[in-house]
Amino acid sequence: MKRFVIGLLTGGLVLALCVLGYLRLGLADVAVDAPTPAWATRWMFSSVHASIRRTTPRDLKSPLPASDENLIAGGKLYLNDCVGCHGAPGKPPSTFGATFNPPAPQLARDGTTYSEAEIYWVAKHGIRRTGMSAQGPYYSDQKLWLLAGFISRITTLPPEVRAGIEEKTGH
Amino acid sequence: MKTFLLGFVAAFVLIPAGVLGYCRLGLAGTGSDANPSAWETLVMQSAVRASVRRSAKGIQFRTPGNVDDAMVEGARLYLNGCAGCHGTPGKPSEDLSSYPRVPQLPQVGTRYSEPEIHWIVQHGIRNTAMSAYGPFYSDKEMWALATFLKRIDNLPPGMMDSIQTKSAVGSSKN
Repeated sequence: MKRFVIGLLTGGLVLALCVLGYLRLGLADVAVDAPTPAWATRWMFSSVHASIRRTTPRDLKSPLPASDENLIAGGKLYLNDCVGCHGAPGKPPSTFGATFNPPAPQLARDGTTYSEAEIYWVAKHGIRRTGMSAQGPYYSDQKLWLLAGFISRITTLPPEVRAGIEEKTGH
Repeated sequence: MKTFLLGFVAAFVLIPAGVLGYCRLGLAGTGSDANPSAWETLVMQSAVRASVRRSAKGIQFRTPGNVDDAMVEGARLYLNGCAGCHGTPGKPSEDLSSYPRVPQLPQVGTRYSEPEIHWIVQHGIRNTAMSAYGPFYSDKEMWALATFLKRIDNLPPGMMDSIQTKSAVGSSKN
């Protein structure tokens, strides 16, 4: 048993040194546009998903009703600050969003599997090691909830809401 | 000896499985408003630095015809496309929302060479908020940016004043 533990510790040390050496020699390609192995993408996505599920408080709920008015207000915020990376409803996907690694999800095209509360949480706190920065320092809770309400329904917006958003943002 | 080897091999199975499980259970933090730990910063910065050194090795610095012109062009590109995250010269700022934090270049400058800066601008850095600008800038523009960025924490006095007024004129024309 003692020998097993010594072997385990030695193995752990060797493994850690291999990883550090690999990184130190610059063998991990950091280019955004170099191919990412499928397992790495899957691993990252499932970790982020699981972590957000775990950290978003269970009883967190939007204080705002999903009225057309609120959806339009959220849509306007989205068109101001999120479209650059996440794509606009009815428009082609964002080319800028594709220049990040991991790439920015195209919310307007693909929607999201996160709940409204989880979207609020992600917008407020951001996602580490991605281009998604925390918006908490810049947005009030009210605005974050407007955004979350809009994004959670982004692929199924009623026509009046879509029209309302586009009408009022054209300066 | 046999038990030792068994333990040795077990480490190579148990540790990755542990890391995977830890992530799968959602125990790895996701909020980018927390501060990266010192060891993560140290390991990741040195990995990025080594990788950029290796990738940019063969690139020759194409000296711009006139360094002063390149500086002015680079400064304009910087104010339009980079300052939003990396900070404006003369205006202290701090990034509080990206993880890892965005280096505030006017204050900290950069230890990368011009070819390495050119490479980073073109290809970006994965798992950070630094996207690849290769699709949006010409080669000449990226060399101008590299020329400017190399000197960003040590600019000739008064340089930014003249740029800011010029770019203001430029943008009001658009």
